[in-house]
Amino acid sequence: MRMTFAETVARLRPDQTRTRSSESLSREAGPVSETGGRVTRALRHGVRKASTVTLILYALALGAGLGLATADYATRGGYLFGGVRVGAWTAWPKVGSLGADPYARAVNARRGEIPLAIGEGMLLTAEQDESGRQLDAACTYRVAGVTPPARAWTVTVAGRGSRVSDSAPMREGFTATEILREADGQFVITLSPEVQPGNWLPMPRAKGPVRLALRLYDTPVAASAGSLDRSAVPAITRTGCAV
Amino acid sequence: MTPRGRFLVASLSGLVLAGLVHGTTILLIPRLAESDALSRARSGENLDHPLAINTVAAGDTTPPVEAWLPIPDPAVAVGLCAYDLSEGPMRVSARTGALMLSLAVHGPRGAFYAVTDQAAVRGALDLVVLTRAQYDEALANADEDEVSHDVRIVAGDTRGFVVVRVIAALPSQRAAADAAVQAVSCTVDSPGDEKAGG
Repeated sequence: MRMTFAETVARLRPDQTRTRSSESLSREAGPVSETGGRVTRALRHGVRKASTVTLILYALALGAGLGLATADYATRGGYLFGGVRVGAWTAWPKVGSLGADPYARAVNARRGEIPLAIGEGMLLTAEQDESGRQLDAACTYRVAGVTPPARAWTVTVAGRGSRVSDSAPMREGFTATEILREADGQFVITLSPEVQPGNWLPMPRAKGPVRLALRLYDTPVAASAGSLDRSAVPAITRTGCAV
Repeated sequence: MTPRGRFLVASLSGLVLAGLVHGTTILLIPRLAESDALSRARSGENLDHPLAINTVAAGDTTPPVEAWLPIPDPAVAVGLCAYDLSEGPMRVSARTGALMLSLAVHGPRGAFYAVTDQAAVRGALDLVVLTRAQYDEALANADEDEVSHDVRIVAGDTRGFVVVRVIAALPSQRAAADAAVQAVSCTVDSPGDEKAGG
Protein backbone atom coordinates (compact mmCIF):
# COMPACT_ATOMS: atom_id res chain seq x y z
CA MET A 1 0.00 0.00 0.00
CA ARG A 2 1.91 2.96 -1.16
CA MET A 3 0.65 6.44 -0.50
CA THR A 4 1.46 9.45 -2.60
CA PHE A 5 3.33 12.31 -0.99
CA ALA A 6 0.29 14.53 -1.05
CA GLU A 7 -1.83 11.97 0.69
CA THR A 8 0.73 11.63 3.47
CA VAL A 9 0.82 15.36 3.98
CA ALA A 10 -2.97 15.48 4.02
CA ARG A 11 -3.17 12.80 6.65
CA LEU A 12 -0.51 14.38 8.83
CA ARG A 13 -1.92 17.90 8.68
CA PRO A 14 -5.67 17.52 8.53
CA ASP A 15 -6.46 21.03 9.86
CA GLN A 16 -4.66 22.88 7.13
CA THR A 17 -6.09 20.78 4.40
CA ARG A 18 -9.56 21.39 5.74
CA THR A 19 -9.12 25.14 5.92
CA ARG A 20 -7.57 25.24 2.52
CA SER A 21 -10.45 23.32 1.04
CA SER A 22 -13.05 25.53 2.75
CA GLU A 23 -11.17 28.56 1.50
CA SER A 24 -11.20 27.33 -2.02
CA LEU A 25 -14.94 26.76 -1.66
CA SER A 26 -15.54 30.33 -0.46
CA ARG A 27 -13.31 31.62 -3.21
CA GLU A 28 -15.45 29.96 -5.74
CA ALA A 29 -18.63 31.31 -4.11
CA GLY A 30 -17.57 34.94 -3.61
CA PRO A 31 -16.78 37.54 -6.26
CA VAL A 32 -13.09 37.15 -6.90
CA SER A 33 -12.40 40.33 -8.81
CA GLU A 34 -13.24 42.78 -6.00
CA THR A 35 -10.16 44.24 -4.32
CA GLY A 36 -12.06 44.95 -1.10
CA GLY A 37 -13.10 41.35 -0.84
CA ARG A 38 -9.57 40.24 -1.47
CA VAL A 39 -8.23 42.54 1.26
CA THR A 40 -10.84 41.32 3.74
CA ARG A 41 -10.00 37.75 2.88
CA ALA A 42 -6.30 38.43 3.29
CA LEU A 43 -6.98 40.02 6.68
CA ARG A 44 -9.19 37.12 7.71
CA HIS A 45 -6.49 34.77 6.57
CA GLY A 46 -3.90 36.72 8.54
CA VAL A 47 -6.05 36.64 11.69
CA ARG A 48 -6.52 32.92 11.37
CA LYS A 49 -2.88 32.19 10.65
CA ALA A 50 -1.30 34.75 12.96
CA SER A 51 1.23 33.33 15.36
CA THR A 52 1.41 34.42 19.00
CA VAL A 53 4.43 36.58 18.26
CA THR A 54 2.57 38.39 15.49
CA LEU A 55 -0.39 39.00 17.77
CA ILE A 56 1.83 40.39 20.54
CA LEU A 57 3.58 42.67 18.06
CA TYR A 58 0.19 43.77 16.76
CA ALA A 59 -1.04 44.59 20.29
CA LEU A 60 2.14 46.55 21.06
CA ALA A 61 1.95 48.52 17.85
CA LEU A 62 -1.73 49.27 18.40
CA GLY A 63 -1.09 50.41 21.97
CA ALA A 64 1.88 52.61 21.15
CA GLY A 65 0.38 54.13 18.01
CA LEU A 66 -3.06 54.84 19.41
CA GLY A 67 -1.73 56.03 22.78
CA LEU A 68 0.78 58.47 21.31
CA ALA A 69 -1.63 59.74 18.67
CA THR A 70 -4.38 60.50 21.18
CA ALA A 71 -1.91 62.11 23.59
CA ASP A 72 -0.64 64.32 20.78
CA TYR A 73 -4.18 65.24 19.76
CA ALA A 74 -5.22 66.07 23.33
CA THR A 75 -2.32 68.44 23.95
CA ARG A 76 -1.91 69.99 20.51
CA GLY A 77 -4.62 72.63 20.78
CA GLY A 78 -6.09 74.54 23.67
CA TYR A 79 -7.06 73.41 27.14
CA LEU A 80 -9.48 70.48 27.35
CA PHE A 81 -10.84 70.58 30.90
CA GLY A 82 -11.29 73.06 33.69
CA GLY A 83 -13.16 75.75 31.78
CA VAL A 84 -16.16 77.57 33.25
CA ARG A 85 -18.72 78.76 30.71
CA VAL A 86 -19.94 82.34 31.22
CA GLY A 87 -22.13 83.44 28.34
CA ALA A 88 -20.07 83.21 25.17
CA TRP A 89 -16.86 83.12 27.18
CA THR A 90 -14.99 80.33 28.89
CA ALA A 91 -13.06 81.24 32.03
CA TRP A 92 -9.88 79.30 32.84
CA PRO A 93 -9.24 80.05 36.51
CA LYS A 94 -7.11 77.04 37.37
CA VAL A 95 -4.84 76.40 34.37
CA GLY A 96 -1.90 78.14 36.02
CA SER A 97 -2.32 76.89 39.56
CA LEU A 98 -1.12 73.80 41.38
CA GLY A 99 -4.62 72.41 40.91
CA ALA A 100 -4.28 72.39 37.12
CA ASP A 101 -5.19 69.08 35.50
CA PRO A 102 -2.43 67.06 33.77
CA TYR A 103 -3.76 67.97 30.34
CA ALA A 104 -3.53 71.71 31.02
CA ARG A 105 0.00 71.24 32.34
CA ALA A 106 0.99 69.27 29.26
CA VAL A 107 -0.53 71.92 26.97
CA ASN A 108 1.37 74.66 28.84
CA ALA A 109 4.62 72.72 28.63
CA ARG A 110 4.27 72.01 24.92
CA ARG A 111 3.42 75.59 24.09
CA GLY A 112 5.85 77.23 26.48
CA GLU A 113 2.83 79.10 27.78
CA ILE A 114 3.09 80.92 31.11
CA PRO A 115 -0.45 80.88 32.47
CA LEU A 116 -1.79 83.52 34.81
CA ALA A 117 -1.70 82.44 38.44
CA ILE A 118 -4.67 82.81 40.77
CA GLY A 119 -4.14 86.17 42.44
CA GLU A 120 -2.38 87.49 39.37
CA GLY A 121 -5.27 87.37 36.95
CA MET A 122 -7.59 85.22 34.93
CA LEU A 123 -7.94 84.30 31.27
CA LEU A 124 -11.26 84.09 29.47
CA THR A 125 -11.52 82.92 25.89
CA ALA A 126 -14.33 82.95 23.34
CA GLU A 127 -14.48 81.08 20.08
CA GLN A 128 -18.23 81.33 19.56
CA ASP A 129 -20.74 84.18 19.58
CA GLU A 130 -23.81 84.35 21.80
CA SER A 131 -25.82 82.09 19.49
CA GLY A 132 -23.14 79.42 19.43
CA ARG A 133 -21.69 80.07 15.97
CA GLN A 134 -17.95 79.91 15.44
CA LEU A 135 -16.26 83.33 15.30
CA ASP A 136 -15.37 83.84 11.66
CA ALA A 137 -12.85 86.29 10.25
CA ALA A 138 -15.20 87.27 7.44
CA CYS A 139 -17.91 88.51 9.80
CA THR A 140 -18.45 91.60 11.91
CA TYR A 141 -19.05 91.25 15.65
CA ARG A 142 -20.12 93.60 18.38
CA VAL A 143 -18.41 92.95 21.70
CA ALA A 144 -20.28 95.10 24.19
CA GLY A 145 -20.95 95.41 27.88
CA VAL A 146 -18.83 95.47 31.01
CA THR A 147 -16.06 93.27 32.35
CA PRO A 148 -15.83 91.65 35.78
CA PRO A 149 -14.08 93.83 38.36
CA ALA A 150 -10.33 93.97 37.75
CA ARG A 151 -7.53 96.51 38.09
CA ALA A 152 -6.73 96.17 34.42
CA TRP A 153 -7.92 94.09 31.53
CA THR A 154 -7.07 93.50 27.89
CA VAL A 155 -9.08 92.07 25.01
CA THR A 156 -7.04 90.39 22.27
CA VAL A 157 -8.02 88.71 19.01
CA ALA A 158 -6.03 85.88 17.45
CA GLY A 159 -6.39 83.57 14.50
CA ARG A 160 -5.52 79.94 14.32
CA GLY A 161 -2.20 78.77 12.96
CA SER A 162 0.87 80.77 12.10
CA ARG A 163 0.60 84.39 11.19
CA VAL A 164 0.22 84.97 7.46
CA SER A 165 2.03 88.23 6.92
CA ASP A 166 5.41 89.20 8.35
CA SER A 167 4.34 92.66 9.42
CA ALA A 168 2.78 93.07 12.84
CA PRO A 169 -0.94 93.79 12.72
CA MET A 170 -2.05 97.36 13.25
CA ARG A 171 -3.95 96.48 16.40
CA GLU A 172 -4.34 93.17 18.20
CA GLY A 173 -6.32 94.30 21.21
CA PHE A 174 -7.54 96.94 23.60
CA THR A 175 -6.63 97.66 27.19
CA ALA A 176 -9.03 98.98 29.80
CA THR A 177 -7.33 102.37 29.75
CA GLU A 178 -7.28 103.06 26.04
CA ILE A 179 -10.79 101.93 25.15
CA LEU A 180 -13.50 104.51 24.35
CA ARG A 181 -16.51 104.19 26.63
CA GLU A 182 -20.14 105.24 26.53
CA ALA A 183 -21.52 107.73 29.06
CA ASP A 184 -22.63 104.89 31.35
CA GLY A 185 -19.18 103.30 31.45
CA GLN A 186 -20.01 100.48 29.06
CA PHE A 187 -17.96 99.90 25.94
CA VAL A 188 -18.58 98.59 22.44
CA ILE A 189 -15.78 96.95 20.45
CA THR A 190 -16.44 96.31 16.79
CA LEU A 191 -14.50 93.31 15.57
CA SER A 192 -14.57 93.57 11.81
CA PRO A 193 -12.44 93.13 8.69
CA GLU A 194 -13.71 96.57 7.53
CA VAL A 195 -12.78 99.92 9.05
CA GLN A 196 -15.31 100.92 11.71
CA PRO A 197 -15.90 104.03 13.84
CA GLY A 198 -15.34 103.79 17.59
CA ASN A 199 -13.34 100.89 19.01
CA TRP A 200 -12.41 99.03 15.86
CA LEU A 201 -10.53 95.77 16.33
CA PRO A 202 -9.32 94.56 12.93
CA MET A 203 -9.59 90.89 12.06
CA PRO A 204 -6.15 89.28 12.32
CA ARG A 205 -6.58 87.32 9.09
CA ALA A 206 -8.64 87.27 5.94
CA LYS A 207 -10.58 84.08 6.61
CA GLY A 208 -10.92 81.20 8.99
CA PRO A 209 -11.87 80.93 12.65
CA VAL A 210 -10.66 83.49 15.17
CA ARG A 211 -10.65 83.57 18.94
CA LEU A 212 -10.98 86.32 21.51
CA ALA A 213 -9.05 86.40 24.76
CA LEU A 214 -10.07 88.57 27.71
CA ARG A 215 -7.42 88.79 30.39
CA LEU A 216 -8.32 90.23 33.78
CA TYR A 217 -5.36 91.37 35.87
CA ASP A 218 -5.44 91.53 39.65
CA THR A 219 -9.03 90.44 39.88
CA PRO A 220 -10.97 88.98 42.80
CA VAL A 221 -12.99 86.95 40.30
CA ALA A 222 -10.37 84.22 39.79
CA ALA A 223 -11.17 82.59 43.10
CA SER A 224 -14.89 82.39 42.33
CA ALA A 225 -15.16 81.99 38.58
CA GLY A 226 -18.18 79.72 38.94
CA SER A 227 -20.31 82.53 40.33
CA LEU A 228 -19.71 84.83 37.36
CA ASP A 229 -22.90 85.97 35.68
CA ARG A 230 -23.47 86.24 31.95
CA SER A 231 -24.21 89.97 32.36
CA ALA A 232 -20.77 90.51 33.92
CA VAL A 233 -18.91 89.70 30.71
CA PRO A 234 -19.15 91.43 27.32
CA ALA A 235 -21.74 89.99 24.96
CA ILE A 236 -20.52 88.92 21.51
CA THR A 237 -23.14 89.35 18.78
CA ARG A 238 -22.74 88.88 15.06
CA THR A 239 -23.97 91.87 13.11
CA GLY A 240 -23.19 90.79 9.57
CA CYS A 241 -21.08 88.69 7.31
CA ALA A 242 -19.31 89.38 4.04
CA VAL A 243 -20.26 86.70 1.58
CA MET B 1 -9.04 29.40 21.78
CA THR B 2 -10.27 30.17 18.32
CA PRO B 3 -8.10 32.33 16.07
CA ARG B 4 -10.71 35.04 16.17
CA GLY B 5 -10.77 34.98 19.95
CA ARG B 6 -7.00 35.31 20.04
CA PHE B 7 -7.22 38.30 17.73
CA LEU B 8 -9.87 39.93 19.94
CA VAL B 9 -7.76 39.42 23.04
CA ALA B 10 -4.78 40.97 21.24
CA SER B 11 -6.90 43.96 20.15
CA LEU B 12 -8.28 44.49 23.63
CA SER B 13 -4.85 44.34 25.24
CA GLY B 14 -3.66 46.77 22.55
CA LEU B 15 -6.42 49.22 23.57
CA VAL B 16 -5.59 48.88 27.26
CA LEU B 17 -1.96 49.47 26.38
CA ALA B 18 -2.98 52.55 24.37
CA GLY B 19 -4.70 53.95 27.46
CA LEU B 20 -1.60 53.39 29.54
CA VAL B 21 0.66 54.96 26.91
CA HIS B 22 -1.71 57.93 26.61
CA GLY B 23 -1.76 58.59 30.35
CA THR B 24 1.97 58.17 30.76
CA THR B 25 2.69 60.48 27.82
CA ILE B 26 0.43 63.21 29.19
CA LEU B 27 2.10 63.01 32.59
CA LEU B 28 5.61 62.93 31.09
CA ILE B 29 5.20 65.85 28.67
CA PRO B 30 5.78 68.59 31.31
CA ARG B 31 8.91 66.81 32.53
CA LEU B 32 10.40 66.10 29.13
CA ALA B 33 9.40 69.29 27.32
CA GLU B 34 12.32 71.35 26.07
CA SER B 35 10.50 74.52 25.09
CA ASP B 36 8.44 75.02 28.22
CA ALA B 37 8.80 78.08 30.40
CA LEU B 38 10.96 76.38 33.03
CA SER B 39 13.51 75.09 30.51
CA ARG B 40 13.60 78.42 28.74
CA ALA B 41 14.07 80.28 32.00
CA ARG B 42 16.94 78.00 32.97
CA SER B 43 18.68 78.55 29.66
CA GLY B 44 18.71 82.31 30.17
CA GLU B 45 22.16 83.77 30.68
CA ASN B 46 21.16 86.98 32.40
CA LEU B 47 21.67 86.14 36.04
CA ASP B 48 20.53 89.14 38.01
CA HIS B 49 17.66 90.36 35.92
CA PRO B 50 14.63 88.68 34.35
CA LEU B 51 14.95 87.04 30.97
CA ALA B 52 12.62 88.96 28.64
CA ILE B 53 10.01 86.59 27.28
CA ASN B 54 7.62 89.08 25.78
CA THR B 55 8.63 92.65 25.07
CA VAL B 56 5.97 95.09 24.02
CA ALA B 57 7.90 98.09 22.72
CA ALA B 58 7.09 99.16 19.19
CA GLY B 59 9.20 97.68 16.44
CA ASP B 60 9.41 94.28 18.05
CA THR B 61 7.91 91.47 16.08
CA THR B 62 6.15 88.95 18.23
CA PRO B 63 7.10 85.32 17.59
CA PRO B 64 4.66 83.42 15.39
CA VAL B 65 2.01 81.41 17.14
CA GLU B 66 1.38 77.89 16.01
CA ALA B 67 -1.39 76.44 18.09
CA TRP B 68 -4.83 77.35 19.25
CA LEU B 69 -3.98 79.21 22.41
CA PRO B 70 -4.28 82.98 22.63
CA ILE B 71 -1.34 85.02 21.48
CA PRO B 72 0.82 86.65 24.14
CA ASP B 73 -0.84 89.74 25.49
CA PRO B 74 0.45 92.61 23.32
CA ALA B 75 0.14 95.05 26.22
CA VAL B 76 2.01 93.07 28.86
CA ALA B 77 5.79 92.78 29.18
CA VAL B 78 6.83 89.43 30.64
CA GLY B 79 10.13 88.43 32.19
CA LEU B 80 11.31 85.21 33.82
CA CYS B 81 13.79 84.53 36.61
CA ALA B 82 14.76 80.90 37.10
CA TYR B 83 15.70 79.81 40.59
CA ASP B 84 17.47 76.82 42.05
CA LEU B 85 17.08 76.89 45.80
CA SER B 86 19.94 74.48 46.36
CA GLU B 87 22.20 77.48 45.72
CA GLY B 88 20.39 79.52 48.36
CA PRO B 89 17.16 81.46 48.73
CA MET B 90 16.05 83.56 45.78
CA ARG B 91 15.40 87.25 46.37
CA VAL B 92 13.26 89.15 43.87
CA SER B 93 13.28 92.90 44.42
CA ALA B 94 10.98 95.21 42.52
CA ARG B 95 10.44 98.93 42.81
CA THR B 96 6.90 99.94 42.01
CA GLY B 97 6.27 102.69 39.52
CA ALA B 98 3.34 104.06 37.64
CA LEU B 99 2.71 100.76 35.86
CA MET B 100 0.95 97.78 37.33
CA LEU B 101 3.37 94.99 38.18
CA SER B 102 2.78 91.45 39.34
CA LEU B 103 5.08 88.65 40.45
CA ALA B 104 4.08 85.00 40.30
CA VAL B 105 6.13 82.09 41.64
CA HIS B 106 5.87 78.93 39.55
CA GLY B 107 7.13 75.48 40.52
CA PRO B 108 7.35 72.54 38.14
CA ARG B 109 3.69 71.74 38.85
CA GLY B 110 2.23 75.22 38.48
CA ALA B 111 2.06 78.61 40.11
CA PHE B 112 1.80 78.58 43.88
CA TYR B 113 2.05 82.25 44.79
CA ALA B 114 1.31 85.55 43.18
CA VAL B 115 1.55 89.10 44.46
CA THR B 116 0.94 92.46 42.83
CA ASP B 117 2.48 95.85 43.48
CA GLN B 118 -0.42 96.67 45.79
CA ALA B 119 1.37 94.64 48.45
CA ALA B 120 4.45 96.86 48.21
CA VAL B 121 5.70 98.62 51.31
CA ARG B 122 7.01 102.14 50.61
CA GLY B 123 7.36 101.43 46.93
CA ALA B 124 9.41 98.28 47.34
CA LEU B 125 8.36 94.69 46.93
CA ASP B 126 10.79 92.09 48.22
CA LEU B 127 9.95 88.48 47.62
CA VAL B 128 12.16 85.73 49.05
CA VAL B 129 11.58 82.20 47.78
CA LEU B 130 13.09 79.55 50.04
CA THR B 131 12.81 75.92 51.03
CA ARG B 132 11.33 74.82 54.34
CA ALA B 133 14.82 74.33 55.84
CA GLN B 134 16.01 77.74 54.68
CA TYR B 135 12.83 79.30 56.07
CA ASP B 136 13.42 77.76 59.49
CA GLU B 137 17.00 78.94 59.40
CA ALA B 138 15.95 82.48 58.48
CA LEU B 139 13.44 82.49 61.34
CA ALA B 140 16.04 81.27 63.82
CA ASN B 141 18.57 83.88 62.71
CA ALA B 142 16.10 86.74 62.59
CA ASP B 143 16.69 89.71 64.84
CA GLU B 144 13.49 90.32 66.80
CA ASP B 145 13.95 94.08 66.96
CA GLU B 146 14.26 94.40 63.25
CA VAL B 147 11.19 94.63 61.07
CA SER B 148 11.54 92.76 57.82
CA HIS B 149 9.52 93.78 54.80
CA ASP B 150 10.37 90.61 52.95
CA VAL B 151 7.55 88.44 51.74
CA ARG B 152 8.79 84.92 52.45
CA ILE B 153 7.44 82.13 50.30
CA VAL B 154 8.18 78.48 51.02
CA ALA B 155 8.56 76.51 47.80
CA GLY B 156 7.79 72.83 47.59
CA ASP B 157 10.40 72.12 44.92
CA THR B 158 13.91 73.47 44.66
CA ARG B 159 13.53 74.49 41.02
CA GLY B 160 11.12 76.90 39.46
CA PHE B 161 10.82 80.39 38.11
CA VAL B 162 9.38 83.77 39.00
CA VAL B 163 7.31 85.55 36.36
CA VAL B 164 7.36 89.34 36.24
CA ARG B 165 4.50 90.97 34.38
CA VAL B 166 4.19 94.71 33.78
CA ILE B 167 1.10 96.05 32.05
CA ALA B 168 1.40 98.94 29.63
CA ALA B 169 -2.07 100.42 29.63
CA LEU B 170 -1.23 102.80 26.78
CA PRO B 171 1.08 102.24 23.79
CA SER B 172 3.23 105.13 25.00
CA GLN B 173 4.01 103.21 28.19
CA ARG B 174 5.34 100.14 26.42
CA ALA B 175 9.01 101.10 26.54
CA ALA B 176 8.62 101.89 30.23
CA ALA B 177 7.01 98.49 30.78
CA ASP B 178 9.97 96.70 29.19
CA ALA B 179 12.33 98.77 31.31
CA ALA B 180 10.34 98.02 34.46
CA VAL B 181 10.69 94.28 33.84
CA GLN B 182 14.43 94.65 33.39
CA ALA B 183 14.68 96.79 36.54
CA VAL B 184 13.53 93.91 38.71
CA SER B 185 16.48 92.14 40.29
CA CYS B 186 16.64 88.42 41.01
CA THR B 187 19.57 87.47 43.21
CA VAL B 188 20.60 84.50 45.29
CA ASP B 189 20.60 85.34 48.97
CA SER B 190 23.71 83.88 50.53
CA PRO B 191 23.92 83.68 54.33
CA GLY B 192 27.04 85.85 54.31
CA ASP B 193 25.26 88.65 52.54
CA GLU B 194 22.44 88.56 55.01
CA LYS B 195 24.79 89.01 57.96
CA ALA B 196 26.69 91.78 56.22
CA GLY B 197 23.49 93.56 55.36
CA GLY B 198 22.49 93.51 59.01
